[in-house]
Amino acid sequence: MPAAAEGRLRAVAVFVATLGIAVATYIAIAESDGGAPACFAGGGGCETVAESSHSELAGVNVAVIGIAGYLALLAAALLRGDGARLAGFAFALIGFGYSVYLTWLELFVIDAICQWCVASAILMTLLFALNAVRMVRYVGKPP
Amino acid sequence: MSAEQRSEAEQERRRRVVQLGSAAAFLAVVVVAVLIVIGQSQSDGGDTNLEGADVVRQDLDGIPQQGLTLGDPGAPVTLVEFGDLQCPVCKGFAEEVIPEVIDSRVRGGEAKIEFRNFTIISEESIPAAAAAIAAGEQGRGWDFIELFYRNQGIERSGYVTDDFLTEIARGAGVPDIERWDTDRQNRRVLAAVSAQTAEAERLGLEGTPSFAVEGPATKGLEVPGFLESPAEIEAAIDSASG
Repeated sequence: MPAAAEGRLRAVAVFVATLGIAVATYIAIAESDGGAPACFAGGGGCETVAESSHSELAGVNVAVIGIAGYLALLAAALLRGDGARLAGFAFALIGFGYSVYLTWLELFVIDAICQWCVASAILMTLLFALNAVRMVRYVGKPP
Repeated sequence: MSAEQRSEAEQERRRRVVQLGSAAAFLAVVVVAVLIVIGQSQSDGGDTNLEGADVVRQDLDGIPQQGLTLGDPGAPVTLVEFGDLQCPVCKGFAEEVIPEVIDSRVRGGEAKIEFRNFTIISEESIPAAAAAIAAGEQGRGWDFIELFYRNQGIERSGYVTDDFLTEIARGAGVPDIERWDTDRQNRRVLAAVSAQTAEAERLGLEGTPSFAVEGPATKGLEVPGFLESPAEIEAAIDSASG
């Protein structure tokens, strides 16, 4: 049953996107008053990343942009049809590409790693894989 | 539907996947490129790569700061460093010499280090000095100084812009950037920069960094001569402590 298989894929995507919203919301709240998320391993990586100019894009906290991205991916996972499949793939590719860029910044520009950003990058990678499979397998098929 | 029709339908579907998927991928790549360009453009105007933030944090971790003074306010000896934030030799001292002194004499409470601005390189040194004092008023003076040195540009090259100073202040963890921005342009702060430089001239100092010590065994602030290694600075501190 293709619809059932796609349903499972969508359910996993809903779960991962919800986790992503939780992680991005935590980062955004922690940074909202000039602070930083708690890095369990210590070392100040989260503070360094939070204080970096790269934690904002055009004056907007990157975590807030992340929340918007995960919400879009959640919506795409909840909806049926080719529009949702293609939109989910496009949103996930944007999120994945931007996560790669942010991880590169952490490693080679900021010289610090924030575990919460890594967690978000992993979730975004999973969503990219899920949405890519959904698009390749199910676009052109009945919802 | 026959097997042949099913095969054709699947082929048609795959063509559609490739076409629509390519369009979606193209759109996504464009959006990511735009996001990266925006991110990079906001980094222009100063070195936003902030090198050494972790090292500075570790060096200063747990040591009290008040104004531009690092260490226990009750420490018997005060080591005064007269420096210019644009000075490359001072940068070398900040990276190679001062951390050892901090570990050996400041962390244990034997001495405190006070940074005073001796703005001798160019006019650009003045806003940098004022920015350090303003950061010190929020308890991040030494974070600012140390981070500035680690991201220092070529002297008199015009790199000391408002954006650069703001980036250093953010990296140094100055809690209220708006207040810092106002303070650093305040006449009182600029007057403090002038006063510190005037004091260095009064002491007969001719270059940066120069050191002076004050402790139980000195008569006020004394200039022990040119100190260039951790051992020499530590000896000056020990001598001043009596």
